[in-house]
Amino acid sequence: MELLDRYLQAVRRHLPWLRQDDIIAELRANLEAQLEDKETELGRKLTDAEMEAWLKQLGSPIQVAARYQPQQYLIGPALFPIYRFVMRLAIGWGVVIYAIAKTVEIVAKGQGADGLVAAIVHLPGMVFINAAVVTLIFAIVERSGAQIPDKFAQGTAMGDDWMRVPAPPYDPRLDGRKKPKTYAQAVIEVIVGWIVLVWLLLVPHYPFLLMGPGVIWLKVSPFQLTPVWWTFYWCVVVLNGAELAWRVIDLLQERWQGPHHTQQLVKQALGLIPLLVVLAAPGRELVVLKNPADLTHAAALAQINLWTWRGFAIIAAITLMQLFWMAGKMSLDAWRRRLAAR
Amino acid sequence: MTLAENLFENLRLELRRGCLTLAVLAQLRQEHYGYTLRKALAARGMEIDENTLYPLLRRLEAQGLLTSEWREEDKRNKRFYRLSADGEEIFTRLLKEWNDINTAISNLL
Repeated sequence: MELLDRYLQAVRRHLPWLRQDDIIAELRANLEAQLEDKETELGRKLTDAEMEAWLKQLGSPIQVAARYQPQQYLIGPALFPIYRFVMRLAIGWGVVIYAIAKTVEIVAKGQGADGLVAAIVHLPGMVFINAAVVTLIFAIVERSGAQIPDKFAQGTAMGDDWMRVPAPPYDPRLDGRKKPKTYAQAVIEVIVGWIVLVWLLLVPHYPFLLMGPGVIWLKVSPFQLTPVWWTFYWCVVVLNGAELAWRVIDLLQERWQGPHHTQQLVKQALGLIPLLVVLAAPGRELVVLKNPADLTHAAALAQINLWTWRGFAIIAAITLMQLFWMAGKMSLDAWRRRLAAR
Repeated sequence: MTLAENLFENLRLELRRGCLTLAVLAQLRQEHYGYTLRKALAARGMEIDENTLYPLLRRLEAQGLLTSEWREEDKRNKRFYRLSADGEEIFTRLLKEWNDINTAISNLL
């Protein structure tokens, strides 16, 4: 019996503490009855070795206790596809931004091969942090979904009572070919939007959030940013705030299913504003010398200004093309609908 | 275990999972405690591992399909389970579903 007691004690340690006594009492009654049967069959008590073998056969205490726990996921099957999508975006864009930032740093500081090696060495760390942050956010959302399943269920594995969830409101503007956005997706968008906004607002106080180790270089470098970047920054903040507010309103008014083409078109058009602010910088000067009298870095300054401006011009051109594409697609869809209605 | 065996095992477990609940509900039209229920099921050809059965009983009780009470038997406290009123209704419906599936499969074979 001592072995059985020790086994049950080990199981108890891994059980939910509120139900430990009840589960152990029941398990003990069942196992003792089973043991009695075995001993009656043999006509003697089990030896220690036989007892040990039997308990081993029952499974490790952790495994036994785990069966009494509710099924849990870090990120469940309902959220996983979105998680994978966001993870790809976060890692992909993280690598692109990191590569651009590091390239600029290496060129500006003339670091050469050493700088390149250091950048490559630090790349996995950056990717790991990105992945960890995304995973943490989704794990929180998953747990929230488990706490308030009626909001998150939507016929997914997160909730077990999907029939009580009201059907998402019908929206005739929805594109019938696309799968409607779920409530969980809409909530994630709001959370991510909020995090991005907080991050943006913190950047002026903690520049390393944007530039990473590059902030040290910015301090010691002979260059400084022109005031046009402040205008650019506040445009971005206002646009992100407006988008977040828009999403919250959609959520509160139960119009989260999207995509709403007009909204997307407006968003795309407004997204041009900060780009145009940069492109309209007087004399295309985006970076200036801290000491204008020191002309040692004049050539590098000209190159930085030229290529930054060109980079923004390319992004603006792509955004403009996307805007025209979306507007064209919307007009075409409207025309098709009119034809179909005849 | 080969890939095919592994696949078969997964499919077999998937197939069995729903049947276990039905078997337990069927057997609990009569009162049982965990171990005797396991023996009764095994005697009728439905072997269930104790690590599956005992937690399953608790889940079914939490779902309102079973009721339970602690009672002394043979100088030992045991938790006896039986089908609740809701459980009986669900069991009847599941049994019909099971029979429909059986008929459909038989028609297909």
